[in-house]
Amino acid sequence: MDTQGPQTKKAQKNSVAWRRRVKSEYMRLRQLKRFRKAEKVKFQFLANRNKIQEKTEMLNEEWKKLRIQPIPATPCIGQLSTKKCVVEYGFPEFKSQTVMMRTLNTVAGVPFMHSWSPLQQNFMVEDETFLHNIPYMGDEVFEQDEAFLEELIDNYDGVHGDRGCEQPPSNRIPHDKIFKAIASMFPDKGTTEELKEKYKELTESPSPVKLPPQCTPSMDGPGAQSVQREQSLHSFHTLFCRRCFKYDCFLHRKSPEPGRSCRSRLCSPLLSFHATPNVYKRKIKEIRIETEPCGLDCFMLLKGAKEFADQNMVKSQRPRRRQRRHKQPSSSASTPGEGKEGDSDRETTSSSEGNSRCQTPIKLKQSSEQPDSVEAVQWNGAEESLFRVLQGTYYNNFCSIARLIGTKTCRQVYDFAVKEALILRVPVEDGGISPQKKKRKHRLWAAHCRKIQLKKDNSSNQVYNYQPCDHPEHPCDSSCPCVMTQNFCEKFCQCNPECQNRFPGCRCKTQCNTKQCPCYLAVRECDPDLCQTCGAADHWDSKNVSCKNCSIQRGLKKHLLLAPSDVAGWGTFIKDPVQKNEFISEYCGEVISQDEADRRGRIYDKYLSSFLFNLNNDFVVDATRKGNKIRFANHSVNPNCYAKVVMVNGDHRIGIFAKRAIQKGEELFFDYRYSQADALKYVGIERELELM
Amino acid sequence: MAPQKHGAGGGGVGSASAPGVGSAGTGGPGGKANGGVYSHSAAAVMPAVKKPKMEQLQADHELFLQAFEKPTQIYRFLRTRNLIAPIFLHRTLTYMSHRNSRRNVKRKSFKVDDMLFKVEKMRGEQESHTLASHLQLTFTGFYHENEKPSQNSENEQNSVALEVLLVKVCHKKRKDVSCPVKQVPTAKKQVPLNPDSSPTKPGALPSLAVSSNEFEPSNSHMVKSYSLLFRVTWPGKRDVNGLMNGETNENIDVIEEFPTRKKRSSSYHEDGEKTFVAQMTVFDKNRRLQLLDGEYEVSMQEMEECPVSKKRATWETILDGKRLPPFETFSQGPTLQFTLRWAGETNDKSTAPVAKPLATRNSDTATLESKPSSLKPTQAIAVKDSLTTDLQVRREQILCEPRQKLRIFYQFLYNNNTRQQTEARDDLHCPWCTLNCRKLYSLLKHLKLCHSRFIFNYVPHPKGARIDVSINECYDGSYVGNPQDIHSQPGFAFSRNGPVKRTPVTHILVCRPKRTKPSLSEFLESEDGEMEQQRTYISGHNRLYFHSDACLPLRPQEMEVDSEDEKDPEWLREKTITQIEEFTDVNEGEKEVMKLWNLHVMKYGFIADNQMNQACMQFVEKCGQQINEKNLCRNFLLHLVSMHDFNLVSIVTIDKAMARLREMQQRLEKDELAEKTSPAPTDEPNWENGSGIETPTSERISETDISASGVPKQNKRQKL
Repeated sequence: MDTQGPQTKKAQKNSVAWRRRVKSEYMRLRQLKRFRKAEKVKFQFLANRNKIQEKTEMLNEEWKKLRIQPIPATPCIGQLSTKKCVVEYGFPEFKSQTVMMRTLNTVAGVPFMHSWSPLQQNFMVEDETFLHNIPYMGDEVFEQDEAFLEELIDNYDGVHGDRGCEQPPSNRIPHDKIFKAIASMFPDKGTTEELKEKYKELTESPSPVKLPPQCTPSMDGPGAQSVQREQSLHSFHTLFCRRCFKYDCFLHRKSPEPGRSCRSRLCSPLLSFHATPNVYKRKIKEIRIETEPCGLDCFMLLKGAKEFADQNMVKSQRPRRRQRRHKQPSSSASTPGEGKEGDSDRETTSSSEGNSRCQTPIKLKQSSEQPDSVEAVQWNGAEESLFRVLQGTYYNNFCSIARLIGTKTCRQVYDFAVKEALILRVPVEDGGISPQKKKRKHRLWAAHCRKIQLKKDNSSNQVYNYQPCDHPEHPCDSSCPCVMTQNFCEKFCQCNPECQNRFPGCRCKTQCNTKQCPCYLAVRECDPDLCQTCGAADHWDSKNVSCKNCSIQRGLKKHLLLAPSDVAGWGTFIKDPVQKNEFISEYCGEVISQDEADRRGRIYDKYLSSFLFNLNNDFVVDATRKGNKIRFANHSVNPNCYAKVVMVNGDHRIGIFAKRAIQKGEELFFDYRYSQADALKYVGIERELELM
Repeated sequence: MAPQKHGAGGGGVGSASAPGVGSAGTGGPGGKANGGVYSHSAAAVMPAVKKPKMEQLQADHELFLQAFEKPTQIYRFLRTRNLIAPIFLHRTLTYMSHRNSRRNVKRKSFKVDDMLFKVEKMRGEQESHTLASHLQLTFTGFYHENEKPSQNSENEQNSVALEVLLVKVCHKKRKDVSCPVKQVPTAKKQVPLNPDSSPTKPGALPSLAVSSNEFEPSNSHMVKSYSLLFRVTWPGKRDVNGLMNGETNENIDVIEEFPTRKKRSSSYHEDGEKTFVAQMTVFDKNRRLQLLDGEYEVSMQEMEECPVSKKRATWETILDGKRLPPFETFSQGPTLQFTLRWAGETNDKSTAPVAKPLATRNSDTATLESKPSSLKPTQAIAVKDSLTTDLQVRREQILCEPRQKLRIFYQFLYNNNTRQQTEARDDLHCPWCTLNCRKLYSLLKHLKLCHSRFIFNYVPHPKGARIDVSINECYDGSYVGNPQDIHSQPGFAFSRNGPVKRTPVTHILVCRPKRTKPSLSEFLESEDGEMEQQRTYISGHNRLYFHSDACLPLRPQEMEVDSEDEKDPEWLREKTITQIEEFTDVNEGEKEVMKLWNLHVMKYGFIADNQMNQACMQFVEKCGQQINEKNLCRNFLLHLVSMHDFNLVSIVTIDKAMARLREMQQRLEKDELAEKTSPAPTDEPNWENGSGIETPTSERISETDISASGVPKQNKRQKL
């Protein structure tokens, strides 16, 4: 009993001391964080100031060049200079100060406007499961507003900023005692073990030194490695959007919306939206094999080399190609000599692992780095990788490969290829373009015209978003997502170009602005890669295109102006006169899912101002945060414009067209009810009428 | 209606407006007082209503003000502005053609030489000093309360000596202590004392004429103002209540002492003689005519000896604190009655009230200016207004509607047409801008077009016309002028340097429009309630546009620039850069190429597969320099190969693009070598060294690679 006494006392003392330490440490950390935050804000502010300064100077410079009326310094009006303002202090020791009064002229007010970002093309954003801010409902708090807010918050997973503060990272894992003490101080933050886990999690993930394992060093950098072709091109392949021609584009980066159950089964939501190129068929005619030696030192002059290359080309067979297409053909660069089993093994594992780039061929590299026959020709990692990449494209055209690598001769390349035993067989396209193809194509086209008619008759109002289909096992039949959604297959689909469901394009020689044009009839813009005769593929630089059915994709919008509306709030005005049915502008904005639109719409309803526009069954265009000037066009029951959702190269886009001839300076209106019956209530005048 | 922004009426409107026609002295800077004309009319109605309760009346009055105050204020303000800086001239309006005295007949035979001839002729006339026009004063008599006319007329002399002096107050020069004053004795007359009120023959009365030449600026001094000084010498008994009080106002300076040498020499005061003086301003210092045709009665003031006045020229006002009822002065005090007439050479020109050299800006102004003063009951001089106006009306009627005296009743409708009030007026002046319209048709047309905040309906009336006035609920006050004017600052016109672009504003001018014959029937209330809506058919950019980003007004020179021509706004460019930068598993070389390429595509907006070959070549041309500088050639090659894998570019393009890039690189290296030779070789070994060190680490990474191969591909985007 005696012995226990001092021990507990000691322990108590200890724990008290620890508690104090934890408390002080906690305080210190918080202060530190505060300081850092303040510093950051200060820095940001200064940076902003500098930016503003720069911009103003730039602007002033620009203005000096132009003949522009300078903005006058606000002059005093009348004899106000005689008036004085007095600042009085409550304390007797301070004298009251007087200063001349300067009056600023009144500036005519403008209607209310929320800030927004300009955009000329739709921009897809994800659903927001966290409410970013609680909408401002005015200074006065009404009961119905509160009820509304509660309901709103229920719709979301949470409100931004609810999470607690994080621990500052450090390198070493502290003693268990500390965790224990913290846990006793903040019991609500979890047990000792949990805190420890959390600490590890928080400190380890953002280590900036290490590159993530999937990443290969830059080809041009000093640390370039020798990797497989797939690995070298992985970033380019996965990030490139074949539809926008951009890397990590703004419109097609989202995983497909599992709106309907049948689709969600077809394509897993984990899969990247951007299709990898491997499945696209290569144009066979492109593979050129130079038959003439490129110079005196050309590898072709070596004995047997040319035959070797040629032979490999001839040997290629069709079944093999098909097989490669069935699998994820990341094996195109793998060695046949290595043995098929190992290769396919790796391949299957890799595909099961979700297509990661993990297949560094260590063995291969070792073999390649052993200088067997080549006399001291050093290949560094970059060169090796580059060779593999190029061989996938150029096959045995070693002269070209050498030219592109730049640092090696074709003979060296050949030697390396032989050593690597990576001589590839060039796939030869069977059949090729047969003379009967034309006839077939024509038949196809005629069938399509019928189909379009048929589609028209069905006139189902449901329009679904287009997704490139990818079902290598079978042709586009009733199970193809394109067919199911009543969309045509596009050039982005993985199916055969002669697929029955493909849209053939038009063969018009006129302006494609009547229903004679199959594209116009199908509410599609002419595809510059399909419609070769109407002019949609010509005159890229000029605005004078003979085809009038490609305005949205080319952005041939009219100059719009913004001014206070004659009806309500702001309005959109047109600068130059337009004719009936001319394209005016695309209604751009954020592309959001229908669910997200529901959530947002609830807030917009409350504000009585909505820029939502139904795009199709899956998506809605919301011009609230991002948009273009046409967003200010008001609703009218007797409008001068109409809206039309057009399929433009695989994307649904909203075009605003002139309903009649419009004079310059006229305000633009269109009928909001086009898609939404309830959109009416956002418009001032009609709203007032309703209230009356 | 001239283009103007209505509704700008703040406090400034009230103070800017001149005292109203019937405002009865209430006209002040306050907003309320501007409804003066109507408060007056309301008061006029009072007796008509049988003993209304005070509150009821007040409430009614409030309602009345509510309805008509604001527009009236606005029109008051516009009237004043139109007088100071007219935007248009009424006489040029078709329905006011009778106000235009010019004829176009002479234009056909006009020769330039005529102008010179005219000027020469005019100069000759001036030299010959013909009496172009003159001021004619006919004195009716001198009235003094103390002397009964019956008494005096018999035993004593029934006339007094009147001396009329023309006083010219000149501008002060530097050397002068005070304003130099010139007194020109004009005439001495005997004026009947307290004559009968019965009209005498005009010829019998003493009259004098002052040539208008006198009012011309003399050579030596610039004359500031002209006034007539009347001095009556009366050889009567000493007056008990000699001192009469007068009021001062801007027009008439009663009882002033003029320290003149002449006066000193006079010896009137010795034997009980009394001298009464009065002064009237003919032209004030702004050269406005103050005395119009009419009958005047001037309150005279006994002149006292004032020693001070001899020393210094001071303008003194004798005021005893007591304020007498104005008409008492005229019934008691010594007054001088006379008729004033501006006579011209010929008869028809005699009506011109203004002397030539001092012609005011327009005749309207003069009329208007005289009006308020003539109506003020507190004034020392009571002009018989009815006479003046009668004369004017008559004149006008001679011109337009021969011998028809019209009475016009204004009936104000407000508060759901239940309340009506009327005011009878017997001239054809617009009550809001006091414009003399001269014809009923013109008046109605003017009211309808210039005061469209109201609705005017004409109703024929046995005595003349009734005009129903109500508020126009559908008034469209939207701005139709140059939108740039709204936002331009005062004095802005002079602050520009060099010629600048202006906003083009479109107005439609109709040449020889089809006009219906003027008829009063067009002002009758239409049957179907609402007249056809006058819609502006003006198309064009008659409004001020704003920048969509900052809501700043669009200036004329910015009209041609469309902010939406930029396919890649800056924020989007930044966004794509940060998005790519955010990837943790994309190496820096790839990132750079991707960023460059994305910016390139965004800038040129490629849409078709078959553009891609061209796009790649263009990319090399535009960004080749950067690719070389940042050492991204191999990454660029990877990009091209990837594009080829997507079936977007041909092998030929890869070859061509790379060849072009090499070419550019060689040129770059050549230039660098030419500049400096030393740093280039040092780079090379470093590079190799780096690779040497890097190899083992790369192997290590590849080992970890395998161990971490379970990571799904989706992790590519760490940000998500």
